[in-house]
Amino acid sequence: MPLLAVEELSVAFDTEDGAVTVLDRVGFHLEAGETLGLVGESGCGKSVTALAVMGLLPKPAGRVIGGRVVFAGQDLIDAPAEQLRRIRGNRISMIFQEPMTALNPVQRIGRQLAESITLHEPAATAAVTRRSLALLEQVGIPAAEQRLSEYPHQLSGGMRQRVMIAMALASSPDVLIADEPTTALDVTIQAQILEVLRTLQRDTGMAVLFITHDLGVIAELCSRVVVMYAGRVAEQAPVEPLFRAPRHPYTRGLLASIPRLQDEPKTHLTTIPGTVPAIGELPPGCRFANRCPLAQALCSERTPMLETLDANRTVACHRWREAVAS
Amino acid sequence: MTSYFVRRFLLILPTFLGVTVLVFTLTRLVPGGPIERMLNEAAMAGADNAGATSGYDGHGAGALSDQQIEELKAYYGFDKPVLVAYADWLGKVLTLDLGTSTRYSEPVWETVKGRLPISIFYGVATLILTYGVCVPLGIVKAIRHKTAFDNLSSAVVFFGYAIPSYVVAIALLTGFAANLEWFPLGGFVSDDFDDLSGLEKAGDVASHAVLPLLSYMAGSFAVTTLLMKNSLMDNLAAEYVRTAIAKGMNFRAAVFGHALRNSLIPIATSFGNNITLIVTGSFLIEKIFNIDGFGLLGFESLVERDYPVVMGILVISSLLFLIGNILSDVCVALTDPRVKFGSGESGQ
Ligand SMILES: Nc1ncnc2c1ncn2[C@@H]1O[C@H](COP(=O)(O)OP(=O)(O)OP(=O)(O)O)[C@@H](O)[C@H]1O
Ligand SMILES: [Mg+2]
Repeated sequence: MPLLAVEELSVAFDTEDGAVTVLDRVGFHLEAGETLGLVGESGCGKSVTALAVMGLLPKPAGRVIGGRVVFAGQDLIDAPAEQLRRIRGNRISMIFQEPMTALNPVQRIGRQLAESITLHEPAATAAVTRRSLALLEQVGIPAAEQRLSEYPHQLSGGMRQRVMIAMALASSPDVLIADEPTTALDVTIQAQILEVLRTLQRDTGMAVLFITHDLGVIAELCSRVVVMYAGRVAEQAPVEPLFRAPRHPYTRGLLASIPRLQDEPKTHLTTIPGTVPAIGELPPGCRFANRCPLAQALCSERTPMLETLDANRTVACHRWREAVAS
Repeated sequence: MTSYFVRRFLLILPTFLGVTVLVFTLTRLVPGGPIERMLNEAAMAGADNAGATSGYDGHGAGALSDQQIEELKAYYGFDKPVLVAYADWLGKVLTLDLGTSTRYSEPVWETVKGRLPISIFYGVATLILTYGVCVPLGIVKAIRHKTAFDNLSSAVVFFGYAIPSYVVAIALLTGFAANLEWFPLGGFVSDDFDDLSGLEKAGDVASHAVLPLLSYMAGSFAVTTLLMKNSLMDNLAAEYVRTAIAKGMNFRAAVFGHALRNSLIPIATSFGNNITLIVTGSFLIEKIFNIDGFGLLGFESLVERDYPVVMGILVISSLLFLIGNILSDVCVALTDPRVKFGSGESGQ
């Protein structure tokens, strides 16, 4: 049994134009100790998936309209608030995209960190301080003692993200959901944060759901990947086979648009033509059809079901065989 | 932090100096100067409504005696070069010598001093009540956004806001004082105040204060309540609140432990401003309830051209305004650690 299973999860948001379905029967699973990548372009529903798992969808606009999230055998969607609270930050932790705004600006780091510790395990002040220092050192924050008495605005973005990671680790969670934790940071800091995450994952053995739109990061960090497109899962596979032989035309397009060093300099970058359909006006059938080089009439009529190719590989495409052949 | 406050308080000096320059210039700029103007007014009033009283009890702007005119001239230093005159005048202001009221024939400071306790009582009471009610109300409204409670209280609050406070005052006075006779008709204390025991005195002041305080609050209520509500709602949607919940906090704890202090920052900003508005009072409410406060004094002095009192009030309310602003800054600095005043520390 997987540690965390997302089954046929559908989420809708109430907007001024009525309810829009943002996630459509998304499914994947996370095994204990593995790092799963969740990739897809901006707006495809990665953050919403993560928030739905955490039970943090913005209320009252967002709600789960179908499916289950099963963690260690219990369904989280209908779990009572108190039970969810005991899981959040304790067994499943999350770090966010924007370290600049994710910390409370008017509280010292030490207090916010201590809170993560004591929320799930009340302890004496001295013990909490010791644990806080250990956590800050674990995520590579120098002069940890001094940091405890500082406010978020006194820290750089990278340092704040490290603090966020330290807070997420406070209760040694089984699952860490990292929602684009490096997108807001510059490249060298990105590399450092990724290194911190990789080391922590190795040392603690926690499972990581790593959300990104950067396939390079996926290749470096993850063992398996889920590719999302416009609120649906397009394909999932272990990293190496996915990169070597992508099945879904969207995945192929994504991989083709990664610039390579051996490319001829100053040529145009490869892109996927067309744009993602707006969430309010999603077409019937395959949502990628309008941009797909292999699309046929069937594609805009029937929604492709997720097909299992082998033990750990699935794809949702009517034309994946042609994609492989081409 | 301490050095911030010290620096901030030291800044009062140059700012106050600036205010005095303005006030002083004003005395020079009024066409014909304050003294000629006062003479004119006196003459005209005498001609226009000989015998008629001027609505405000008192002796009207009867002709000024030569001695009074000389006093005024000397007070503003019209007989000296501008800078010397200013320096002299400033020296007098600083020693609380604000001149002599033409209406009461007593030093302006004495006149003002008599009103201050009343105004401060009403100001502070209104302030405490306003914040004491508006902040909790705003919090509840934010948490219960769009519930029946929220909508109903909004209706009440807007109703109070839409009606001018003097109308509220008159309505309250007619209803609760004149008809029901629950409260006295006006004044700050009863006539037999001096004969009352300590506890009775407090009760007397309180019963006189109920209606004026309600009138004062009716107007300021909506602004502060909605400011609090909106500010808290913004912060409830902030990412750090989501972080707190993701850490395993329940919603209520996140509201009070994280969002609340952040949402008080705009309230703190408006705090000092409210202090000055309220201490200077509203002459209409003071008039209706017959309270001898600052607002009424200022209004009557203007009507009666009691020039020294007007200037004195201007100086004092400017000073209050400065103090209010600094209080705001102090409040903001206390709630928001990102505020560091021109210091070399990191941040901002
Ligand atoms: N509060 C909301 N109200 C309405 N629609 C929302 C809300 N939050 C998200 N959405 C919609 O849900 C869709 C998925 O958003 P989501 O934030 O999950 O994208 P994402 O894949 O995380 O993108 P990014 O890479 O930019 O973070 C978007 O189309 C967005 O418009
Ligand atoms: Mg996102």
